[in-house]
Amino acid sequence: MSAIEQEDSRHGYFMKQALLMGEKALETGETPVGCVLVYDNQIVGSGMNDTNRSMNGTRHAEFIAIQEMLRSYPKSTLRSTDLYVTVEPCVMCASALRQYQIRAVYFGCGNERFGGTGSILSLHSDFSIDPPYTVYSGLFSKEAVMLLRRFYIQENEKAPRPRPKKNRELNTRFDDIVESYNHTA
Amino acid sequence: MDVQEILRRVQPLAGQVIPVRTVQEAHPHEEFVDAYVAEVSLKGASKVIKALDSAFPRDPSRPLNHLRRFAKHTQLPDHLRSTLIKGEPSAQTIFVLITPPLPDVETLKTLLAPFAPPPESLSESSQQGGSIDLHTIRIPLQPPLTIGKAEKWSKAMWPVVFNPATPRATIAPPPQTLSRVRDSINPNAGHYLALARKVADEAEKSGVGRRVGAVVVDPELEAWIGTTDEDLGTHWADAIVAVAGDARYARRDAGAMSESERQLGLGPNSNTQVYNPDVEGGPELHALMRAADLVASGRRKQDGNESVEQLPLNALEKFFLSQSDVSGSGSSGDVDEPSPVPGKYQKTETGAHAIIKPADSSSAPRLRSREHGGYLCTDLDVYLTHEPCLCCSMGLLLSRFRAVVFPRQGRMVTGGLASEPVIAPVPVSAGTEETHEAPEQTEDQDQHEEEEKMSNEHADSHPKRLYYGLHWRTELNWRALGFEFVEEATTKNSAEEGVAFHA
Repeated sequence: MSAIEQEDSRHGYFMKQALLMGEKALETGETPVGCVLVYDNQIVGSGMNDTNRSMNGTRHAEFIAIQEMLRSYPKSTLRSTDLYVTVEPCVMCASALRQYQIRAVYFGCGNERFGGTGSILSLHSDFSIDPPYTVYSGLFSKEAVMLLRRFYIQENEKAPRPRPKKNRELNTRFDDIVESYNHTA
Repeated sequence: MDVQEILRRVQPLAGQVIPVRTVQEAHPHEEFVDAYVAEVSLKGASKVIKALDSAFPRDPSRPLNHLRRFAKHTQLPDHLRSTLIKGEPSAQTIFVLITPPLPDVETLKTLLAPFAPPPESLSESSQQGGSIDLHTIRIPLQPPLTIGKAEKWSKAMWPVVFNPATPRATIAPPPQTLSRVRDSINPNAGHYLALARKVADEAEKSGVGRRVGAVVVDPELEAWIGTTDEDLGTHWADAIVAVAGDARYARRDAGAMSESERQLGLGPNSNTQVYNPDVEGGPELHALMRAADLVASGRRKQDGNESVEQLPLNALEKFFLSQSDVSGSGSSGDVDEPSPVPGKYQKTETGAHAIIKPADSSSAPRLRSREHGGYLCTDLDVYLTHEPCLCCSMGLLLSRFRAVVFPRQGRMVTGGLASEPVIAPVPVSAGTEETHEAPEQTEDQDQHEEEEKMSNEHADSHPKRLYYGLHWRTELNWRALGFEFVEEATTKNSAEEGVAFHA
């Protein structure tokens, strides 16, 4: 599927909502990854990374969104639900989505450090006791990358040993180089 | 039964802690590529290297230090000797290896022309003097991991150097670290794993989850307890910062009753007999994820952020969580159960060694606060009844646990940590008379090949599963040390043969 074709479509609309969640994450000092869950053409859950606030490294956007959805919908609904997430789900989330039997995942940019749906592992399609799900990538990937870049030029005061990043400049170029981030979507 | 009673009744598992090999060790990645070999004059050898390296800089991300840059006639593998040397071998020449990225043939020939062997010493028949002949050969891109492999490649491909230190560092944790941690966790691992089973029992009996449990231990506290030579009693439990059982049936989805509430009375949930994804909750309700969240909620409390507890805690979970309250032990419910922590401190202080306590007072929380460097689950170890599912395996890396320990009997077809099938112990071969420089490595190698053979033979008898070895993969940013606990007497079947679910 061509990403450009999709950017005006309803897929594009949902990915924009995911990007807005990412913006919100950036404002609150979280790794800017956002997502929405779409069931029956409606957003039934949305999430952003919550690891810093919760002091729990596993509180990724996907889990937050699923948690929100399950307040109103039974788990079985996830089988007819699609996820729009700005960054490729990490290995943890890729497995969780499989266990939750998500129908399809649309992501923006790849995750060369932790990606679980193609970059490092392919947990959406590997052998498992749960059915595989389809993955589409590339929708608004530049926007997703820019969110991350804006985050990573900041200093992480919460880290045990913050690294000074005073002289960093925001990179706005998009070459064909592979984006490689230390993020954990 | 109160918590102290449960702790007193814990019967430690008897057995040994052994490292889970990394996938890089279990399935070594071997790539072979083309390279050129050229015969050059022995006298110009050092200049050849300089000329090559300045014309075709080597790729620093691809160190090929395991390949010798030169080979004398006598060092060439047999099949190369017969193709490269046509007449009498000359003592005036040597063979140089040109590694990838391979330069253009003509450029290379021109570059090497000044170093071509003099015509009279040319070992090949009737070549015009001063010309370079390039022969294509295959070379291994990755360094050999065993001396046996190095010998094999040297005989079949090109002389290869075995360096015991460098290659391992890129594929597995440093052996010293691994054995130091193994030695430190081995004495108490049986206790923590036995307690993990008690936690699992509570989860199952109450109907809130499957029989899976997790125990989180601070090895710094454990080391400190270990300094007393006296009988530990239940002091091994003083190093525990959190325990959690599986709670996959406890959540109320869509406001309806939870699976555990639907069931009348206590006792194992009827859902445990099968795998029905619709009632399995989700991985955040698995024991390991809950343990990581209890650590997080302990910290949030220390920071003054009272967190809304979403799921009811059982007695063991509550007890260990209360040990991390800022207010210290005793103030939160279990007044009748004196914390074992003060006792530990008194005991050692009256003993021979005066040791600085990790925490500055006996009422300090067990869980290191953020001001004291506490960050996620950094430097903590987790003991599990089962091999965690892929999601939890990555969750443990993202939580930065130092080490993970699970009983081999608890392997799961859905697990994320094992890197290879369990192999029946390979009898020590009679190959001990082999006196290699490093016989251990050679044995390793043989054993590995043996294992590979056996695992192929057994492939059909085992339920199908993949081996991810997530705890220590070169591609991932975070890594943990992985250990299996091999029980002395194993009567039960492996969990791999039971109902397949995500632990």
